[in-house]
Amino acid sequence: MEPYGNSGCVSSSASSSSSSSITKPPEMDNHLAEAGYKVRSSDLRHVAQRLEHLENVMVNSPNDLSQFASDAVLYNPADLASWVDSLLSASDFSTQLPISIPSDLDYPDAIMDQTAPPNDAWTDHHSAAAPPQHHHHQITAFTAMEEDSGIRLVQLLVTCAESVQRGDLALAGSLIENMQALLTRVNTGCGIGKVAGCFIDALSRRVFTPQSVGSAAGSAHENELLYHYFYEACPYLKFAHFTANQAILEAFQGHDCVHVIDFNLMHGLQWPALIQALALRPGGPPLLRLTGIGPPSPDGRDSLREIGLRLADLARSVNVRFAFRGVAASRLEDVKPWMLQVSPKEAVAVNSIMQLHRLLGSDSNRSAPMEMMLGWIRNLNPKIVTVVEQEADHNKAGFLERFTEALYYYSNMFDSLDACAALQPDKALAEMYIQREICNVVCCEGSARVERHEPLAKWRTRLGQAGFRPLHLGSNAFKQASMLLTLFSAEGYRVEENEGCLTLGWHSRPLIAASAWQVMPSPEATATATATATNNPLGIINRNANHV
Amino acid sequence: MADSDEVNLSESKTVVPLNTWVLISNFKLSYNLLRRPDGTFNRHLAEFLDRKVPANVRPVDGVFSFDVIIDQGTSLLTRIYQPASAEVPQPNILDLEKPVGNEVLPVIIFFHGGSFAHSSSNSGIYDILCRRLVNICKAVVVSVNYRRAPEHRFPCAYDDGWTALQWVNCRSWLKSRKDSKVHIYLAGDSSGGNIVHNVALRAVESGIDVMGNILLNPMFGGQDRTDSEKLLDGKYFVTIQDRDWYWRAFLPEGEDRDHPACNPFGPRGKSLEDIKFPKSLVVVAGLDLVQDWQLAYAEGLEKAGKDVKLLFLKKATIGFYLLPNNDHFYTVMDEISNFVSSDC
Repeated sequence: MEPYGNSGCVSSSASSSSSSSITKPPEMDNHLAEAGYKVRSSDLRHVAQRLEHLENVMVNSPNDLSQFASDAVLYNPADLASWVDSLLSASDFSTQLPISIPSDLDYPDAIMDQTAPPNDAWTDHHSAAAPPQHHHHQITAFTAMEEDSGIRLVQLLVTCAESVQRGDLALAGSLIENMQALLTRVNTGCGIGKVAGCFIDALSRRVFTPQSVGSAAGSAHENELLYHYFYEACPYLKFAHFTANQAILEAFQGHDCVHVIDFNLMHGLQWPALIQALALRPGGPPLLRLTGIGPPSPDGRDSLREIGLRLADLARSVNVRFAFRGVAASRLEDVKPWMLQVSPKEAVAVNSIMQLHRLLGSDSNRSAPMEMMLGWIRNLNPKIVTVVEQEADHNKAGFLERFTEALYYYSNMFDSLDACAALQPDKALAEMYIQREICNVVCCEGSARVERHEPLAKWRTRLGQAGFRPLHLGSNAFKQASMLLTLFSAEGYRVEENEGCLTLGWHSRPLIAASAWQVMPSPEATATATATATNNPLGIINRNANHV
Repeated sequence: MADSDEVNLSESKTVVPLNTWVLISNFKLSYNLLRRPDGTFNRHLAEFLDRKVPANVRPVDGVFSFDVIIDQGTSLLTRIYQPASAEVPQPNILDLEKPVGNEVLPVIIFFHGGSFAHSSSNSGIYDILCRRLVNICKAVVVSVNYRRAPEHRFPCAYDDGWTALQWVNCRSWLKSRKDSKVHIYLAGDSSGGNIVHNVALRAVESGIDVMGNILLNPMFGGQDRTDSEKLLDGKYFVTIQDRDWYWRAFLPEGEDRDHPACNPFGPRGKSLEDIKFPKSLVVVAGLDLVQDWQLAYAEGLEKAGKDVKLLFLKKATIGFYLLPNNDHFYTVMDEISNFVSSDC
């Protein structure tokens, strides 16, 4: 007997409505997929039964469900089967939750001024406060514009990019001159004027002074400085560090010797918070080794070591045994695993904040540097690999498409920066950081173009094929990231959950994506990306089971 | 309430397709976790759970979309959906806000449901519904990301709807060539249906012409407990208790459910007899526990001499229009299409 209505159980063969490049395996229920939920058609009956069971448990629970929801850590609501099961397993509603990850970790002053408040009423009220006044903020800076000049600028920009793609540099050149003239009539301090100014500048370099493009990139020292201003002026890097640290902390639970490999140390901004969190962890801190990779210092200084010394001082002050090693390399692909001196006894975390995309070439067939790197990362057998990348499609071969994508992406980024009301000159320096990225995307080709951003969907496929499976970031990381935003940024920023990953964006446009990965056991090393999604059905239980 | 004898009241599973049952049950149980007894709402967890989708300028299934902030002060976002034209298969930024240029172009301002507290214009379930409306009605759809309860109570959602109506009315690129005006329809489901009514009311004195209202399972209520509420409480995904919670979260503090926002034809309702009100299409699901209020709404419009078409779907539950896997879905989409094209 059919306990469920049997009309319309058959999935339609309608094409996917998502813009993801991963095609769903045929057995997923198409209608639910369109709504954002992944369930295999063959699992529907089972999921329905579990939902009924869950309802019974909830109805019979003596406790307040909303309290349970506030305390529990929940993962990946898109995967309905595992979602329901994790709710069930997490919820022996009448007893204390077995999940050991507290939702109110103390984070140091560098990131948060106070411990997370114990209930949500604070944040709920906070979000009802009036948003600060700000000017010219739109998801697409080019729409709903009242000024004709602004519209004209956009038309010219796109036409110019088209002519560059066609190779008509004479036309491109004269369009650039038109645009520069038009810029004088537009407010270049904000909104479309600001963004257009950057892109006109980049086009101008590409067309008129291609030889100067290399020097526009600036020295490593300058870049580090600008990075620092970008870090301060908006929440993207703080979110990246915070979210990665949270995942690393959880992965390191129960381990006494831990080793973090940072693919781009910069000023080591990410690490004080982790050191302090490890200092405070129940049972005491582990021995922490940090290997920081960075460009060689030109003037004989060893800037990596200097940063290591400062971090060591901090670690000493909070009684964390700490060892630092700097690895100087001009390019990430020059780093070899033997330089990292990983010991088999330690739990390893590999941390890549906006670095992996540099290994991509525009020809996806020549993926050797990326494959090699992912291969040796895998061989290190890390407990966790944290990856943060720009959520953008800036690696297309066609120039016009790349240009247009970048125009959208960076206009949102600039708008979001405006909302943060950083003081000058800090804001201008942060913007310069972004401008350099734009310049690389627009002006450079071949090995000079390192800003080859690709969207999360592509990273999922790539990492899956390289033998990694996702470690889902949960509702606690989401909540803390949201709360971090209310402290450090402005109205308009949004954290979103995306199948176990977290994104931070401006309004509804995600701009940066954070994800965590672990190595898949060998026999499944060649599994496809879709298998990775279902290999980790109970996010909570799997983590606890990974202890050595 | 209408005709209840044949319906097996304890078996919600027998009346909806399996995947619909899974979808709506999941919402029901997840939403139970979000509402707190003290009237506050776990907004973080709600946002974590909500499946969101980005806008897409590259057309998919003949529709492209983009987001626009239409009011800086409240950060009011709308997602605009347009049919991809045959001549411009890949619109770029310049094509957004280019005059669509149709002789007659219906523009549907859509208010998503969620009982005033849940969902957003970029929620997957509503994004896909809006895309379907574009293709079925050959319309532009403007989905309004209105402020939600309990953080923002009455009248915030209505204010946002009104802002959106005024904004849409002023867009020269949305005008129909025939009369150089924007042909506006208001549509919404659940709380969105309630917003439709209230925004249309506000438009009455303003001189903005709303050509029609489409209310899908609109959210109305009142202090009384009606027969349908008593009979269907808890049977088809919805309980009186949760309905009460959402009204308490939306209405001004201290107010009861006879507040005119909740009960427009109740003891505190205002008469529509002397005002010009748009024609209405009211869709009522026969297994929705608030159907008596919805039927009373349709009746109230009729008694006031307003043009109203009631579509009563006896075996439909809430959310039947979210997945295109049942006859009711197609019936309703046809009706909406006719409703919107009958003014050409």
